[in-house]
Amino acid sequence: MLMIAGVIVSVILFGIGLLGMIFRRDLIIKLLSLGLVNGSVMLCLVSLGSRANGIAPIIRGPENAGYVNPLPQALVLSAIVINFAILALALVFVMLLVEHYHSTDSQRIEHEIKREREL
Amino acid sequence: MTIIVLLPLLHFVFAVLCLSWQRGTRGIILAALLIDTILLGVLFAVLDQAGSISITLGGWGRNVGIELVADRTSLVFGFLTLFLEGSILLYLWREHLQPYFFMLLHLLLGAVFSVLFAQDLFNIYVIMELLTLVSFLLVGYGKRPQQIWASLKYLFLASLGMGIYLLGVAVVYYHAGTMNLGLIATQLTEQQDTTWVLLASSLLVTGIAVKAGIFVFSLWLPAAHASASPAVSALLSGLVIKMGVVVLLKLAAIFPLSGSLLVLGSLTGILGIIYAITTYELKYMLAFCTLSQIGYLLIGIGTGSKVALSGTLCYAFAHGLFKGLLFLAAGSAIQATGKKDIRELIMERSNISLITRAALLIGTLGIIGLPPFAGFCGKALLNAGTQSYVTQIVLALLSFGTVVSFARLIPLFRFEGGGYLPRTKSLSFLILALPIVLFFPLTHLFVPAWQWQTSLNISVFIKNLVVIGMGILLARPIANHFPHLEKRFFRLEEAAVVILSGFFLVFLLLLFA
Repeated sequence: MLMIAGVIVSVILFGIGLLGMIFRRDLIIKLLSLGLVNGSVMLCLVSLGSRANGIAPIIRGPENAGYVNPLPQALVLSAIVINFAILALALVFVMLLVEHYHSTDSQRIEHEIKREREL
Repeated sequence: MTIIVLLPLLHFVFAVLCLSWQRGTRGIILAALLIDTILLGVLFAVLDQAGSISITLGGWGRNVGIELVADRTSLVFGFLTLFLEGSILLYLWREHLQPYFFMLLHLLLGAVFSVLFAQDLFNIYVIMELLTLVSFLLVGYGKRPQQIWASLKYLFLASLGMGIYLLGVAVVYYHAGTMNLGLIATQLTEQQDTTWVLLASSLLVTGIAVKAGIFVFSLWLPAAHASASPAVSALLSGLVIKMGVVVLLKLAAIFPLSGSLLVLGSLTGILGIIYAITTYELKYMLAFCTLSQIGYLLIGIGTGSKVALSGTLCYAFAHGLFKGLLFLAAGSAIQATGKKDIRELIMERSNISLITRAALLIGTLGIIGLPPFAGFCGKALLNAGTQSYVTQIVLALLSFGTVVSFARLIPLFRFEGGGYLPRTKSLSFLILALPIVLFFPLTHLFVPAWQWQTSLNISVFIKNLVVIGMGILLARPIANHFPHLEKRFFRLEEAAVVILSGFFLVFLLLLFA
């Protein structure tokens, strides 16, 4: 049950993030949407490792007392770190663009760059 | 065994060293080059005996631990890395660069070696993300707004693609209970119900295709490769793009992808070459051409016969060499004249050094596949590897388009004038030009002799020469009468939509193929 709910929510979040990346012109909002997309994927991974009445995978009692699968959680930890790095670096580059064009509007930046190339 | 751990790991160590010992960055990269040569030599000797070697890290079992495997594919791409590394080092010898550029270079090489040995889906995800980050920083190194925007677009789309890939990994893990490619293959033979493979493989292929330079997915590529500095473009186009292809090779070995890869390969080949023909800006033209040349590799993987796979390896190696050379030489030609357009470059050809023009000539001869230059060997093997006529026609069309788009460079080679070129740069061209000219003896290291006997005959020579001759003759009329092409979907938003629709395309292809 938990697993199905997690997967459904993650698909919905993936869709929202993708729509945000496509339809919002502001670069910061695009970045947040990218974060949402990647976050939803992680939610999907974690919920696939879940089980009914599962407990955290820290062995304190009997060996098979219904622990959830620890491997997806370990994977998601590395994925979180990677996506943090991506968002942070992308924000720095957005900052450089804003210094130059005084705008975070992707269409406008695209237009300006096209004009500069033709000069 | 430890070689396959050392090769990537040492580069990460060198990356840290570059930051802490800033005066010795060039010495460090020279040392790295030497060590790589030795290690790859040892690996070659070991693989000659054993075929493939593997190691599972950390003493865990194969289903939890990370397995590294070295085989013929990793060896071929390892040698390609070596050539590009040496040539880039010499090209950058005199340029003033910050130490962190060299750090990124080492990280890139380390990540490349890790991809070659990776045998675990999640491990591949992590390394591909590392490659994304490093190439993002390398493209934006010059900090010109154009570069920054191109690299930001790259980061957005590649990260979206890797998100899709990770979804695929999740599906595989849920159904197969492992991420090790070898174990997944055994699971696939044991399980009764394998309908999940459809969803999983379409997600995985879509994710990787964004990074592998396949036309409908990698629309970030032309801007990123054309606006980066020459050495970076050479590395990205020659090497980083190939890493996606390596992963596709690994995926195609266990999932049934052949039909869809054939279609995707023809699509990227034809569309890429059409855009290359209509583009007159030299570096953009080379970037579009990269998109189309990936088509050859995908067709080779999709065909799947032994000869075709050898052809894929051969062509990937050759493409890395001549595309690297072309980007480096184009960079120094553009630097010498200040012009980017092919027509303007031809007007000012007397300012370009003779050696640069010779390098451009050798690269061009390599890419159009004139025997015995590098492109020819791969094309001959690919041609012999396919039985179907449709594929052979597509391959011939691709060669024809390549000749048409590169025939415009030929007027550059009038024997006159010549500007100054530093000696290190000429040496760096030489490192890539030599293996292009002497490619045929080189291939005997990794292509068995019987495959040459079946694929080399007089008709292949004639076919290639006819295609080249026709291409050169028809180049001008075709280029003059080409319609104007839509460039709108190279923007960020449209490219994201295209990736999404590309996913549905792959899904349908896998469903019906």
